[in-house]
Amino acid sequence: MTLQQTAPPAVLARPVSRRDKGRLFQEIGMLAPAVILLTIFLVVPFLLSFWTAMTNQPLVPRPTPIRFVGFNNFLRIFRDELFWTSLWNVSRFTFWILPVQCGLAFATALLLHQKLPFRNLFRGLFFLPAITSMVVVCVIWGTLFQYPTGPFNQVIGFLSGGRIQPIDWLGDPNWAMFSIVLLSAWQAYGFQMIVYLAGLQGIPDELYDAARIDGANAFQRFWHVTMPGLRPTHVFVLVITTIQAFKLYTQVAILTQGGPKSSTETVVHYMVRSGFEEQKLGYASAVSVILFLIVLVIALLQRQLLRRFDV
Amino acid sequence: MSDLAIPTLQAKVKSERSALGSLRMVQTASILVIALLIVSPLFMLLIASLKDDRFQILADMGSFRAFWVSSPTLSNFAEIGNLSGELAFGRYLVNSLVILALTVGAGLIVNSMAGFVLAWGSLRGRALILSLVIALYVIPQESIIMPLVIMVSRAGMTDTFAVQIVPWVASPLYIFLFYQFFAQLPKELFEAAEIDGASVFRIYRSIFLPLSLPALATVSILMGIESWNQYLWPILVTQTDYARPIAVAIATFFGQDSIYWDRAMAASVLMMIPILALYLAFQRWFVSSFVGSAVKG
Repeated sequence: MTLQQTAPPAVLARPVSRRDKGRLFQEIGMLAPAVILLTIFLVVPFLLSFWTAMTNQPLVPRPTPIRFVGFNNFLRIFRDELFWTSLWNVSRFTFWILPVQCGLAFATALLLHQKLPFRNLFRGLFFLPAITSMVVVCVIWGTLFQYPTGPFNQVIGFLSGGRIQPIDWLGDPNWAMFSIVLLSAWQAYGFQMIVYLAGLQGIPDELYDAARIDGANAFQRFWHVTMPGLRPTHVFVLVITTIQAFKLYTQVAILTQGGPKSSTETVVHYMVRSGFEEQKLGYASAVSVILFLIVLVIALLQRQLLRRFDV
Repeated sequence: MSDLAIPTLQAKVKSERSALGSLRMVQTASILVIALLIVSPLFMLLIASLKDDRFQILADMGSFRAFWVSSPTLSNFAEIGNLSGELAFGRYLVNSLVILALTVGAGLIVNSMAGFVLAWGSLRGRALILSLVIALYVIPQESIIMPLVIMVSRAGMTDTFAVQIVPWVASPLYIFLFYQFFAQLPKELFEAAEIDGASVFRIYRSIFLPLSLPALATVSILMGIESWNQYLWPILVTQTDYARPIAVAIATFFGQDSIYWDRAMAASVLMMIPILALYLAFQRWFVSSFVGSAVKG
């Protein structure tokens, strides 16, 4: 969500009376659960992650005391080739998922915005994968990707008359990440579609009527009314998808474990591995700090873009 | 307008109509193709879950038999549905349902109360708290998970239901969604109730909450999907079956040399049903309020 701050309702300025004091206590009481929970489970671990990142904390407590190691973890991460591979891989993933997922979502939203029969039914159907657990999606796509006789390979073999050899979707380093892209786009695009539908509904009909009176054809109306009207939506969808892409984990953990040949290793998978397989929590925390900084930069970029578009 | 202009205008309307007709056909065809791409994997899952022979399931995959079952059987469901067997999916399913219900239930109360006070309260630090909450939204779950695991294991919370519920009840996003929803309601609602002497909690409870069905539905669906589909967190904080959710249980299929696809498929179908029910129940409000509040941009 964009979390644009709308103006809070005006606070009624009045002298503090006894009743107002009671009101104040009630308000604090209503706010307290959220504030306490957020502090314990979000703010504290967040601050801790910076501290842990600068120690040699292991997963299982050891007799030797935990040492402060400064930026050593970060230096080691930057020297680790696997880290750069994981960063490169999520960048590749992002590069593919943006056009595939957002493009499909945009196209579908444009179609469903028309007055087609059964469009509510379609909208519900297209959202189904988005509510499906990634684990279930992996069960389904794990069978679709079967090598060499899975459905995808059969279809490709049939369409090409047997000229294209079966593809080892998840086992070939050249294909594995692209396969993860297909599966991920299929799973998550329903959300983007709904966001686009919302954006389309936000464009006033009068603009289209005015364009029609001015003699604009369908393409011109799309280009000069729809696209400018969707600018904030595009920014929002692209940014959210990019952030999601950098957090890629579950499908990789289940289907490829980062392989083959580290071709699907991701930042979060690398973090979980260093933390829980190699038991280096300090090191893993340093990776999590880097992940946070990446997400922060993308989010700040979104703010700047939205400001430029004056919304 | 002269008489001469009328026939050309009619012709123009006619040609535009037929162009519109063929456009409509292209659109309908495109929608059907997309529907096929989206729905057929799910349909295949459903069909496969009704087949008894796990080798046959894979053999059928490459042909149209993937979409057809000659003698459907519920034996896969019976096998995984039993509560104490080796693959006690019934237990995991119940675990997940408990976690879902308590997370969403507590989340609706906690986040809506906070959103309400932030929108209508008279607290002096209100604006500051609101901006802090919004700022917290940037922190991804993945980047706090390492220290959080240490915290909860030190607190002895490993392998409990609480550890899968409590940390995710309060959320900047849902507080903000409620804030935004409440803030757009008319000021007169609050003022009139206040003049009548109603307390803040009472105004929230009896007037604003009943009006916030769209927001409640949206947050229920989003929180429900989030809780139901959690995977990374539960594998880190559960070691036994006691409180383990179904997503983790299904994922264990993948570690084995030969995957029991028949049972994996049946478990997956079972896993889809509750969240689908939640979605269908609240869908009407979900879409309208998602449209209204989430993407103001």
